[in-house]
Amino acid sequence: MLCLVTLLPVVAAAADFNREIRPILSDRCYSCHGPDEANRKAKLRLDTEAGAKAALPHLLERVTSEKKGLRMPPVSTGPGLTARQVDLLKQWISEGARWEKHWSFLPPVRPAVADIDTLVEARLKREGLSFSPAASQATLLRRVSLDLTGLPPTPEAAAAFLADSAPEAYERFVDRLLASPRYGERMAMRWLDAARYADTNGYQTDAERSMWRWRDWVIEAFNKNMPFNQFTVEQLAGDLLPNPTRDQLIATGFNRNHRANGEGGIIGEEFLVEYAIDRVEATSTVWLGLTLGCARCHDHKYDPFTQREFYSMFAFFNNLPEKGKVFKYGNSPPLVTAPTRDQESRWAVLTSAAETAERQFHSLQPEIAKRRVAWEKTAGPVTDWVPRRKLLWESAAARQFNGKRSEDLGDVAPLGYYDKFTLAAWVKPTSPEGAILTRAGDKEEEAGYGVYLRQGKVQVNFILRWLDDCLRVESTDTLPLGKWSHVAVTYDGSREAKGIRLFVDGKEAKLKTIVDDLNQDFATKDPLRIGAGHGLRFTGEISGVRIYRDTLTPEEAGALGSSRKLAEILSASARTSDELRKVEWAYLDAHAPADLQQTWQAYWRTRDELREYTATLPTVMIMQERPDVREAHILRRGAYDQPGEIVTRALPAALAPGAKIGNRLQLAQWLVSRENPLTARVTVNRLWQMLFGVGIVKTVEDFGSQGEWPTHPELLDALAVDFMDSGWNVKQMLKQLVMSRAYRQSARVSPELLAKDPENRLYARGPRFRWPAEVVRDQALQVSGLLVEKLGGPSVKPYQPAGLWKELSGGTDYERDQGEGLYRRSLYTYWKRAVPPPGMMTFDAAGREACVVRENRTNTPLQALALMNDEAYLEAARKMAERILTEGGVTEESRLGRGFALALLRPPSARESIVLLASLHHYRDRFETDPGAAAKLLALGDSKVAVDLKKPELAAWTMLASMILNLDETVTKE
Amino acid sequence: MNHLTRRHFFGRSASGLGIAALGSLMGAEGTFPNFPAKAKRVIYLFQSGAPSQHDLFDWKPKLAQLQGQELPDSIRQGQRLTGMTATQASFPIAPTIYDFKQHGQSGAWMSNLLPHLAKKADQLTFVKSMHTEAINHDPAITFFQTGFQLAGRPSIGSWLAYGLGSDNKDLPAFVVMVSQGTGNLADQPLYDRLWGSGFLPTRYQGVKFRSIGDPVLHIQDPEGLDRAGRRRFVDDLAKLNEMKLEDYGDPEIGTRIAQYEMAFRMQSSVPDLVDMKQESQATLDLYGPEVSKPGTFAYNCLLARRLAERGVRFIQLFHRGWDQHNTLPKQLPNQCRDVDQPSAGLLEDLAQRGLLDDTLVVWGGEFGRTVYCQGKLTADNYGRDHHPRCFTMWMAGGGTKPGITHGATDDFSYNITADPVHVHDLHATILHLLGVDHKRLTFKYQGRHFRLTDVHGEVVRAVLS
Repeated sequence: MLCLVTLLPVVAAAADFNREIRPILSDRCYSCHGPDEANRKAKLRLDTEAGAKAALPHLLERVTSEKKGLRMPPVSTGPGLTARQVDLLKQWISEGARWEKHWSFLPPVRPAVADIDTLVEARLKREGLSFSPAASQATLLRRVSLDLTGLPPTPEAAAAFLADSAPEAYERFVDRLLASPRYGERMAMRWLDAARYADTNGYQTDAERSMWRWRDWVIEAFNKNMPFNQFTVEQLAGDLLPNPTRDQLIATGFNRNHRANGEGGIIGEEFLVEYAIDRVEATSTVWLGLTLGCARCHDHKYDPFTQREFYSMFAFFNNLPEKGKVFKYGNSPPLVTAPTRDQESRWAVLTSAAETAERQFHSLQPEIAKRRVAWEKTAGPVTDWVPRRKLLWESAAARQFNGKRSEDLGDVAPLGYYDKFTLAAWVKPTSPEGAILTRAGDKEEEAGYGVYLRQGKVQVNFILRWLDDCLRVESTDTLPLGKWSHVAVTYDGSREAKGIRLFVDGKEAKLKTIVDDLNQDFATKDPLRIGAGHGLRFTGEISGVRIYRDTLTPEEAGALGSSRKLAEILSASARTSDELRKVEWAYLDAHAPADLQQTWQAYWRTRDELREYTATLPTVMIMQERPDVREAHILRRGAYDQPGEIVTRALPAALAPGAKIGNRLQLAQWLVSRENPLTARVTVNRLWQMLFGVGIVKTVEDFGSQGEWPTHPELLDALAVDFMDSGWNVKQMLKQLVMSRAYRQSARVSPELLAKDPENRLYARGPRFRWPAEVVRDQALQVSGLLVEKLGGPSVKPYQPAGLWKELSGGTDYERDQGEGLYRRSLYTYWKRAVPPPGMMTFDAAGREACVVRENRTNTPLQALALMNDEAYLEAARKMAERILTEGGVTEESRLGRGFALALLRPPSARESIVLLASLHHYRDRFETDPGAAAKLLALGDSKVAVDLKKPELAAWTMLASMILNLDETVTKE
Repeated sequence: MNHLTRRHFFGRSASGLGIAALGSLMGAEGTFPNFPAKAKRVIYLFQSGAPSQHDLFDWKPKLAQLQGQELPDSIRQGQRLTGMTATQASFPIAPTIYDFKQHGQSGAWMSNLLPHLAKKADQLTFVKSMHTEAINHDPAITFFQTGFQLAGRPSIGSWLAYGLGSDNKDLPAFVVMVSQGTGNLADQPLYDRLWGSGFLPTRYQGVKFRSIGDPVLHIQDPEGLDRAGRRRFVDDLAKLNEMKLEDYGDPEIGTRIAQYEMAFRMQSSVPDLVDMKQESQATLDLYGPEVSKPGTFAYNCLLARRLAERGVRFIQLFHRGWDQHNTLPKQLPNQCRDVDQPSAGLLEDLAQRGLLDDTLVVWGGEFGRTVYCQGKLTADNYGRDHHPRCFTMWMAGGGTKPGITHGATDDFSYNITADPVHVHDLHATILHLLGVDHKRLTFKYQGRHFRLTDVHGEVVRAVLS
């Protein structure tokens, strides 16, 4: 009875190889007699025509044998073939054992009749079924609105539509939905699942990352109806397009959304492999509907992909300048600054201000030089000059160190690893070992920052935990002993070794990276020390200690490191370029006329403003190619430390025989080319799933031989070809689907139809299933009037029971937002992978650990508890009750009508009204007897309670509204 | 329509299924158990962070003389180390500083950190030759839970909920509880996905009973609404949904009505479950002084017994705090005190109620710890890094052979010398005790029949009674 009609053969028809025979061979035979060469038994393969033909003489005997040693599949692997499977094999053999290439690897061909309803109806007729009547206008309206925008229409918009009797009224309504900015948000929901988008890294500490600008790119792309082929190419390879725009770079965040590990002690190489594999799997699932991941450890068991081909795909995705151990907190390179549209304009203003100021300053150079020379002639005694911009702390005095003494300065210069800073001092060492300037523990390798002298070399340490969470660089040359040198270390806050530069006597010195594994902040409570740190003591003299809260420019470091004082330079007959700059800047700082000083100051001020603003802008992790190509190997058993042969980039031969695909861009372009039989089919199938609940191919993630045969192969091909012909127009495809008669039917089902087609795979009725998690919540926010419709931005933290994060992670707990963050659409909810939002998970949201494209629906008591008792839904019920009381007239009936109109766009039936009004009276009595209870119920949620409404009345209607929000009809597409 | 509804309800309740496991109607590929089960349920006491086998169970007396000496290359054999110690200049041997004695008739060796458990030695089945493939917490614990290092596959409890369903219609088939130990307070985090259902339907996922707030999310009605008010709500909602069912004929509506009823019942059964006032002082005393503090390991152990009594299939406790990279002597005694008496008390309590025979208790972490010191070794201080190549676990009850030790390690507890037991083997054995053939508990996903043990796993016959 539960057996699908769709899987039963058409009576007396010839056995269809792809539909009926291959699935048997694939499911029951291929794991030993399939494409996987290493594990192939008895040198027998049934996945190729030649192999299968060779085996035919014994096939039936073996699968029907009663003998333990003879029967196939072996008794140890489970039960044998069913009688029906054996019959099919017999029929197939008797009909000549016709062989075909797997259906999804053949290009889609537009059938002669390509209309959705004709094709669906033809199939229905074959099964003795027919279309159901159309759904009522109101039902259809709700269905299509929630499908295309994820929100119900307002009662007013619905009323306007229902009053419009024009034949094209529905079409016009659909067009309006597709033009709404809410459409892009709706479409993004499932794309975020496919892209395994989240706000945290997903491993160990599971700390925050920031990919929401990529998420907003997706929404925008859907809203402007970017053709799906462009949508594909920009996300997979936007970085490789000629002169890519900032948006095209942001788009490539798609393949950086995967989890990334910053756990101390991991082996980076192992995770580099995982990242690349994740990219292959997500890309192949989303665009090819193929489970290439199976070929990671061995040749694919069922589909014609070898392990070598898997790693040839891998080779497209392993060539980023990335590290296996990522930053524990925040985004890891490569990344791009990704301002929002608003920020972009402010950024442009600041950029142009800085450029103007710089131009102005430079245009005054001749003037400045002229006036400076004049000043120099008349200048009296001058004090020395050093850069004072962003000077955080300074002590010019010289001090003596004897290898024992140190100087503690207390809580000074608390710098961390996101800070830009510069540490500078004059040193005259007499021993090659010692600490110069530190803010770190005083035992060997303890946490903190510091500049040291080790074996005469200048060493910089930023340490949280020595060896696996630290950064160390060292000069290649030694400092001379017994002689003054100026040492300046600049750091740009990038958390990488390459963000550190060393200047000795104002000249950049070569650095060698010893460890580049900094992963957490290194700030400590230890005092700032001169001449001490890590148990080391300085011997010699130190003076002119300066700490800047910025990365000094090389020019500034040059001026700072000039050994001669200003007065000496002025009186000398020759000067170096650093000295000239020192003179000039000293002049501009203190001695130039006001107009020059202003230009000079404006130059720095605008530059700093721009840099400071830029630092506040969001970033997105993106794809980028390394200049040198990282080798890709076949990994034996898929293990990172078992590299085998080197492979080069290529597509599996079964998909693209002979294609020359050399890089990611060509791969992306091939995916959306006519040569690829899969992407268009796989994409329209997902759209179909979104509207009808189940794909034409139910296994939306698997179009391979283990995937399900399409219920309507011709329809799938017709849609796929239409989609490509339309220029990959997503809105047009959706419109085509929702305009169909198949979509517009009533969802009512008779017991007979239910028995025949329980999953509605034949479409003799309209779709009926629970809305996705986001839609369930967003709808409640909308009908209660709480929804804040704001497009994009950082993720928000709506209500969530306290303690969930803390219990698992032990760190900080979830801190929910106040105000509008509570009422944004659910796709903006902060997604912590270790503890995903329970309100979403309870309603079957994908976990965002890896790419998920199949929609999953369950029906559990936990959902009932959430809808009844979650603060978010109770607050929505209260606000909905307020609307009912203020907008619903004065009678109980009219108010009830308003409640139904808000949520369901229809009036209650007489029978429903009886139940609901009796319920209302019950709660009203209850709350009038106990007004305190009413007050407590109404106190839930942050939003204000309407003061002009009687509390018992409002509480009673709150229960009614809650009941409406809990109705099966409310949470269900109908 | 009515017959449909009825069949629907009867279909579900007849298979005796609980909340998360509602309806193996569409359920497992095959029927279970495959053969008579010794154990009906599992209480898995997961020691998260990885307890040191050196300091608790796997005594290596010869190490005392080797304190501070370099671990011989012949033992290390160039095996991979974590990034935390791989670049360490030396690998000095750190013998345990705790006293070991033999206990019970079986003469099992245990250190003085576990005095209560030592008294239960004859009920325990030690496996000293556990090994795993993962070397860091996240992959290792994921491996233990799902049989695979990367997240995405169903957890062992979900597999069992899917295969065996629940014996209690008011409670989930798979319940998880978490506690923080007093050893390493900044220990490894846990993740909801560790008890997730992976690609199995979400109704099979573990339900985490929380120690803060309500044990089950949203189990409490809002303030201002009493039980009668909620009863009325569920009844009226059912009436309205019935009308919809009559009109539309969609059986999912029937399921929804049933689930609201189940939710209402859980609102009573869950508070009843956590009402510890029903326990006698004598019982409470078995678990030690922490038992009355919600969220402690002791409290969770008692709750585990109450869940076992009610027929919950897979009860899993996670106790954090075992990650002793440094200052082990300072951390470990506290950490052991958290679990020693409660673990022993649980065994005693189960035995007294006749539940130990058909309840399998499993105790262990995600890997072992190194014989060599991480960080600076002194006379009274040391730390140990992760060690996947050998570690100790124990089981009790549920058809295991009591009072034996299976497997052995070399003099450094660095390599296994006899009877290695891989994580897959442990999984196969647990399933076997529950009457499930690990090769037959499968689910087809992305074109492949997946199972908990992947393509591996051998039942460890030697530990079966």
